[in-house]
Amino acid sequence: MELFDEFPSMGRTDLRDLKKGIDFAFRDFSRENGEAIENFFDPLMYFMVWFEKLLLAAPWPIMIIIFAVLAWLGARSIPIVIGTVASFMTIGWFGMWEDTMATVAIISVATALCIGLGIPLGILMSRSNRMQSVVTPVLDIMQTIPSFVYLIPVVMLLGIGKVPGLIAVCIYAIPPIVRLTNLGIRLVDKEVLEASEAFGSSYRQKLFEVQIPLALPNIFAGVNQTIMMALAMVVIASMIGVKGLGVPVLRAVSNQYLALGLMNGLAIVALAVIFDRVSQEYGKRLQKHRQGGHGA
Amino acid sequence: MNKFVKGIAVAGLATAMSQAAIAACGDVTVAEMNWASAEFMANVDKIILEEGFGCTVELIPGATMTTFASMDTKGVPDVAPELWTNSLTAPLAAALASGSMHKLNGMPIIGAGEGWFAPGFTLENNPEIKTVLDLIERPDLFPHHEDPSKGAFYGCPAGWGCQLTNNNLFRAFDMEAKGWLLVDPGSAAGLDGSIAKAADRGNNWLGYYWSPTALAGKYGLVKLDWGVPFGDKDHWDNCLTQAECAEPQKTAWNFSEVNTIVTDSFMKNNDPKAAAYFGKRVFPADAMGAMLVYMGDNQAGGEDAAIEFLLNYEDVWSQWVGVQAANLIKKSLN
Repeated sequence: MELFDEFPSMGRTDLRDLKKGIDFAFRDFSRENGEAIENFFDPLMYFMVWFEKLLLAAPWPIMIIIFAVLAWLGARSIPIVIGTVASFMTIGWFGMWEDTMATVAIISVATALCIGLGIPLGILMSRSNRMQSVVTPVLDIMQTIPSFVYLIPVVMLLGIGKVPGLIAVCIYAIPPIVRLTNLGIRLVDKEVLEASEAFGSSYRQKLFEVQIPLALPNIFAGVNQTIMMALAMVVIASMIGVKGLGVPVLRAVSNQYLALGLMNGLAIVALAVIFDRVSQEYGKRLQKHRQGGHGA
Repeated sequence: MNKFVKGIAVAGLATAMSQAAIAACGDVTVAEMNWASAEFMANVDKIILEEGFGCTVELIPGATMTTFASMDTKGVPDVAPELWTNSLTAPLAAALASGSMHKLNGMPIIGAGEGWFAPGFTLENNPEIKTVLDLIERPDLFPHHEDPSKGAFYGCPAGWGCQLTNNNLFRAFDMEAKGWLLVDPGSAAGLDGSIAKAADRGNNWLGYYWSPTALAGKYGLVKLDWGVPFGDKDHWDNCLTQAECAEPQKTAWNFSEVNTIVTDSFMKNNDPKAAAYFGKRVFPADAMGAMLVYMGDNQAGGEDAAIEFLLNYEDVWSQWVGVQAANLIKKSLN
């Protein structure tokens, strides 16, 4: 009966030894390889430091003009450009310019990194079912595991600062772009593929000229989600020493400063809305262009 | 019936004998606060009082404010082994003045409190560095990874009260001009992680921390002397701990008062030897740190840690009690 009353668990000492063993193994690994791993990421870190300094050093009117031009190039919509300029002016007026630039810097790098790694991975996944069955559970883990669980080892390995922050953001933000690239390519009509094969297109042509263009709406939905999730991680990244809008939010949370929290929170929202509208409009525009080409 | 009487007689005789060996001590209630070092200290006190002085000890769980209030109004528990009294200055002074409480030990743990810490090896490798004043001249020893030309000083996580104090002291010691960067670790996990990473690799680390903590013990963090005295309490309260502090002055960190406090009834009703024990009971920083690490590594409670301490640090605790009590305690451990 005893067997049913109590779950037959591992002994307390064994369990403790197991946990200790894992901890010590990780510590040894970190002692041994931490330096090398850190050096590996150094170029990325210096780029981020340089990029943040650049954004902070540039005069604010030039930065606003750059943002407006980028918004125009992306969205080709006057209201969105006006909205962008107005948001950045408001952010600056409330004294959040520097933190916002720091956040824009890390989010831009994080998004670029996620897209650069995520789209190829999504394409690989769409090519092979085995790859998909391996990567999907990994993506599930990345999206659901509580962030502090992987932040602790990342911090022990790389310390606190920009690179660990970037890794934390990317672990959380990369899954949508991978999933949606994979999905988009898999959803391309079989008939269209057969037609392209009938015209004698090579494997490479099929991928780059048929599948990816037709998957673009999905891929852009992925890019958009990746940006949103990266912005959602700004506060968590600040918990391991990333400068930006997350720092005042943390300060507000632990001291119940309502206004400070709200202002910086809304600045993050404003960035999210701008990124979202611009990237969505850009995606739509690409699509319209393709459809127009089709119709003609 | 006969047997029963005999039993009582034997028990009485045994009590009388043990009382002859050690003077009457009586019942003592000891506060067991809800953090690791206090749990450990309460259990050390319990074993020493029971085995060495023949008291009957009951541990009463508590926290700083609630325990003090209960001692003040109800006289229970009798003993608060590790009472942090910076927030209780006025009521404690009143209680001490009225004689309802007695302070038996003003520093039960060496080095307890907040301050700036560095790993022990940093100081050993650079013997010319004795104080914070010496140390802030050497930012080159603590290169910041993101900008190696600057020294990294790890402040207090964003939003904690100590963040303001650290920012102001950073300014008071003019550290920016000396080539330092104030790094915001973001959270306690970030601060701990930065220490673990640096100490594991033998890199120097300088920052804000507090003691007694398992982490300080595990990585051998040493609380630095400031090289300047604690200045003006008024300046500390109204400038250094505030967001707006126009001209912060160099000062040591505000001294964290940790006391062992007992009630008046304990002094009157219990063995004076027990009171003398509390006066001598001072935990060296390394012993306290080692025990906190032991508790963390083995998920041990205060009682396990107390036994471990008594087994391994006889040279420390035998100084606190007489030879006779020490022998009794040693015997009980076997």
